Amino acid sequence: MGIQNAIVKFNVGGRIFQTTATTLANAGRDSFFGALFDDNWDLQQPINGREFFIDRNPDCFAVLLDLLRTGDLYIPFNVPERLLYKEAMFYGLIGHVRSAKRGPFDGNRLKLSKSVTGRAPGDGTAIRAGPDGGCCVAHGSMVHVFDWMLEEHPPLNLDYQRVNDIGWLNAESVLISACERLGRGDGGMGLFSSYTGDLRYKFNVVHDNQIKSYTAGALCFSPDYKIFASCKGRSNEYGIGVWDQFTGKQIDFFYETPGWSLGEADKLQWLNGTTCLLVATLFPRKDNCYISLLDFRQKSTVWSWSDIGAPLTVDEKRVRDAIAMEDCNSVCVVNEYEDLGFIDLRVSGGSVRWSSRSRLMKGKMPDEPCYPKLALHNGQLFSSMNDSISVFCGPDWVLTSRLRRSYGGSICDFSIGGDRLFALHSEDNVFDSWETPPTPVI
Amino acid sequence: MSNQKKRNFQIEAFKHRVVVDPKYAEKTWSILEHAIHEIYNHNASGLSFEELYRNAYNMVLHKFGEKLYSGLVATMTAHLKEISKSIEAAQGDLFLEELNRKWNDHNKALQMIRDILMYMDRTYIPNTHKTPVHELGLNLWRDNVIHSSKIQSRLLSMLLELVHRERTGEVIDRGLMRNIIKMLMDLGSSVYQEDFEKPFLEVSAEFYMGESQKFIECCDCGDYLKKAELRLNEEIERVTHYLDVKSEVKITNVVEKEMIANHMMRLVHMENSGLVNMLLDDKYEDLGRMYNLFRRVPNGLSTIRDVMTSHLREIGKQLVTDAEKLKDPVEFVQRLLDEKDKYDSIISQAFSNDKTFQNALNSSFEYFINLNNRSPEFISLFVDDKLRKGLKGVSEEDVEIILDKVMMLFRYLQEKDVFEKYYKQHLAKRLLSGKTVSDDAERSLIVKLKTECGYQFTSKLEGMFTDMKTSQDTMQGFYASHPELTDGPTLVVQVLTTGSWPTQPSITCNLPAEMSALCEKFRSYYLGTHTGRRLSWQTNMGTADIKATFGKGQKHELNVSTYQMCVLMLFNNADRLSYKEVEQATGIPASDLKRCLQSMACVKGKNVLRKEPMSKDIGEDDAFFVNDKFTSKFYKVKIGTVVAQKESEPEKQETRQRVEEDRKPQIEAAIVRIMKSRRVLDHNNIIAEVTKQLQSRFLANPTEIKKRIESLIERDFLERDNNDRKLYRTMNYVEEGLVSKSKRSSQLLVSKTEEDGSIKILFVEHKRFNDLCRSARLVTPLMIPSATLPSFGFDPTFTWPQKLLISKPRLPRKLVAFVTSF
Repeated sequence: MGIQNAIVKFNVGGRIFQTTATTLANAGRDSFFGALFDDNWDLQQPINGREFFIDRNPDCFAVLLDLLRTGDLYIPFNVPERLLYKEAMFYGLIGHVRSAKRGPFDGNRLKLSKSVTGRAPGDGTAIRAGPDGGCCVAHGSMVHVFDWMLEEHPPLNLDYQRVNDIGWLNAESVLISACERLGRGDGGMGLFSSYTGDLRYKFNVVHDNQIKSYTAGALCFSPDYKIFASCKGRSNEYGIGVWDQFTGKQIDFFYETPGWSLGEADKLQWLNGTTCLLVATLFPRKDNCYISLLDFRQKSTVWSWSDIGAPLTVDEKRVRDAIAMEDCNSVCVVNEYEDLGFIDLRVSGGSVRWSSRSRLMKGKMPDEPCYPKLALHNGQLFSSMNDSISVFCGPDWVLTSRLRRSYGGSICDFSIGGDRLFALHSEDNVFDSWETPPTPVI
Repeated sequence: MSNQKKRNFQIEAFKHRVVVDPKYAEKTWSILEHAIHEIYNHNASGLSFEELYRNAYNMVLHKFGEKLYSGLVATMTAHLKEISKSIEAAQGDLFLEELNRKWNDHNKALQMIRDILMYMDRTYIPNTHKTPVHELGLNLWRDNVIHSSKIQSRLLSMLLELVHRERTGEVIDRGLMRNIIKMLMDLGSSVYQEDFEKPFLEVSAEFYMGESQKFIECCDCGDYLKKAELRLNEEIERVTHYLDVKSEVKITNVVEKEMIANHMMRLVHMENSGLVNMLLDDKYEDLGRMYNLFRRVPNGLSTIRDVMTSHLREIGKQLVTDAEKLKDPVEFVQRLLDEKDKYDSIISQAFSNDKTFQNALNSSFEYFINLNNRSPEFISLFVDDKLRKGLKGVSEEDVEIILDKVMMLFRYLQEKDVFEKYYKQHLAKRLLSGKTVSDDAERSLIVKLKTECGYQFTSKLEGMFTDMKTSQDTMQGFYASHPELTDGPTLVVQVLTTGSWPTQPSITCNLPAEMSALCEKFRSYYLGTHTGRRLSWQTNMGTADIKATFGKGQKHELNVSTYQMCVLMLFNNADRLSYKEVEQATGIPASDLKRCLQSMACVKGKNVLRKEPMSKDIGEDDAFFVNDKFTSKFYKVKIGTVVAQKESEPEKQETRQRVEEDRKPQIEAAIVRIMKSRRVLDHNNIIAEVTKQLQSRFLANPTEIKKRIESLIERDFLERDNNDRKLYRTMNYVEEGLVSKSKRSSQLLVSKTEEDGSIKILFVEHKRFNDLCRSARLVTPLMIPSATLPSFGFDPTFTWPQKLLISKPRLPRKLVAFVTSF
């Protein structure tokens, strides 16, 4: 591009804009402006001093030009947001708009950006943040998909069976695990297009060379393109199934051993450092909690913990959620009073070291409690309890922030991804989107 | 032209989005189609990007994405078919150039088309899971151009032809080659592999098969390897110039297989130039090349290693069994060391210090050194030689190097205890005759032996050094307490501890009167200062310095052995003495006496005595005179005794017998240790375990082990199983407490039941037993009925009842079960 510093004149929908090629270069090669300035295309017209005509909305163009100039997005009142997004799509600048809308995720600087009210009749099951800021919400047998503009796409369902877990394979695909329906082959696990809601693939479980129907529970993905799901078969086929993301074929199955639970697990978590899978089955799905670390290469359980035989204390601390923190070599657990506990991952059969901190909660339990959930993001630990989410930081996990909104009732699930935190409330089918505001001007 | 189009467009009044002209899609598409034609025809300068982009955008927006996409596929396909025809038409070498040019054109066009259709690429394609524009362009190129029947085979044969021409030394256009190969890679790894790599590898295999056949007929091994290396490097270079990096492993595999793996045996065994010749001639470069090339193929290194090992064993066998070469032990060992040096440097310089080669070298040495059962003796003699004279003027580091080399040979020995025996003898001689060159070197070797074999191995050797030191102090004390002894002969006594030194039982000879008086004085002094000791003279090991005046007044100082001194002193009182008279007067054993007379009467230059008749050997009837005519240019004359440095045959037998005798208790101790822990074991396993335990000292003979086992059975320590005669079980009931006392009276065998149920067997010094009882709570009183043994318990003053250990009678049966004497 020999015209880097040349002044470019545009006539956009009748209004004249002048800018430099350098400013437009900020749009990147994969945009309208990038292609326009490529040597392949003849750019005689604007250089001749004549303006370059674009048949688009000048107000939106002004906003987007400022975005290219300053990196900040400022939307005046007279520009509808939806129109701006449309225009950004035309110029190929939608990625710029999205990243300018919010800053890098920080649990201590979150602001509520939007609350979305759904129309599902039942209680929410799960909410999952997508990689590019969208989310999907499971209610009963339906999954509603929202893109990063929080616009709803066609909903998904797997034979209208009750959904147990959902997950984003990538920005275009959502995975659903659902209950089976006896004798019909319904349910199991399916892959859907997040744009159109089409079912693209249905995963099978094979035992003894026979395809079996099954109920899929918790889901998890690994960076080497595998899908893990807890499975309950018709007979004794309980365990963790493994599928290949490209071929969709089942490549492994880890059967649970008697006296231990894998097939009904509430939570799966892939650990990159040790290349093991954390499987947690928790109260009240089972009478006891079972947490284990599976090594699929050797088909062995390399670490396990259970509260079987542990004396029930007066305040009855039952583990309700668990998350492995590889950096600290421990598993963090939480009970229904939002006490955090830690189990050492380096020794098998250790005990929970509770850090009692929120005794005040006792006696203030709402009528319809939701079980607490845990999440870990960039060294920050998040824990949901009733209608708020607590953020813990530092080596000792000090409580640093609490996110709360006045209505919607208890939070039954939350998820972090695409620089956003989504919290699903149990009442009113409301979910909130929290995000970090753009970096300050100075 | 573009103005006219714009006008047409505006007439369609498309701003009213609600009303869509039924022909709208057709018209818009025709504009875009036209643009695509213009782009392919290099006529894009007249096109308006903005207009085309907007049109494509509008088509997608108005749900004509499908039409746009299928139109694109059709248009591009049509163009590629035309392109394919023009490439087909290219003649000869121009074909590749035309292909390359069209490929560049297509890429540029594809980029521009993608620019126009960017909105479709970003929204419509992911939603419908269609192939993105760029990938689509590559796929269509692959299907319509590369896989067109008239191009595919022609392209392949031209590429292979170029490679072949380059292999035969021609210069080719590598840039063009790289571009074409790059195109195949851009089309996907499967295209590259199927359309080029696979046939390329096949053709290469064929080429190298032929070439290697040609080379192996006419080249010697070294030249062949050079050529193979060159070819290998050429192929690697080819890959870096114009092939996919992933092909490197594949093509080198082909060369390795065809040029090396298939001819490995023939190369190694090639007459006059194979591996053995390289080893003989120290051809480091060739060996290194062979190593590096063979390393690349399966079994390559093991082939080299096997040939080297068998060659080395052959050479080594010759070295250690050739009677001619056994004459001089020092030479013998030196040859071994030279051989070791030679192969060490081959391995370090040519075989990159490969551990497996070092192991092969070690095992070969171990193999052939032990073929000759005199190796331990010779190695000890070599050390003796070095420490006597060889190390003079050699720096400390060099001494260390020599000693380290000797230790290396020592490590190969299986019969280390034999070495120890000889070493002790040789060390004793060195110490007593004061011939040791360097005390530091001696001690350093002892330290090395200690680290190699443990304290037990060297404790006696160290005791010898201590004796030497104490003797010096004793002599100072003796002369200090006898100040009157300044005149007359000087006596130097070295007091040796029995057991530490190799003693040869000898009869004390009759010393001259002056000497025996002095000896008596020393004896009374020594016994006066040390109680409870016995002193016996070893006259066969001493030396003496005497002053002699011969017939013409010539004076000499003679350095002789004690025996020789006794003989010479006789001539102070007599001119002529017969052999019988000498024998009677001195009381020296006949063999020693003959040897000592021989050395004084028959050795030229040292003949202080004269003998009648003049002959080499000493007869019973010979007579001896002082040789008045004795002359020597030196004042001091050293008269050595004629001694065989190497052991004579009977001596050898004796040493061997002693070694065998010493091994017995060691084998027994090992059997006891093993049986204590195993309780029941079959014959073969006992043999195996005993051999393993004793490996560091000697290689136990299975028949000897069997004899020992039988002896232990006789002594009620072991018994045979009633059902399976091959099975032995220990009679000792090793539940708790004391078990048995070993034959060497200073040690007790104690077993201890650990908390986890395992049983530990300890050898405990007798006097430490009480401490052990206190600290480890070894013995449970319950197991020993206190009524029978009232004195037994944990009392620190407890002493072990000797009777109990040695005899069975009078003890209740139960106790006999734990305590067995043997």
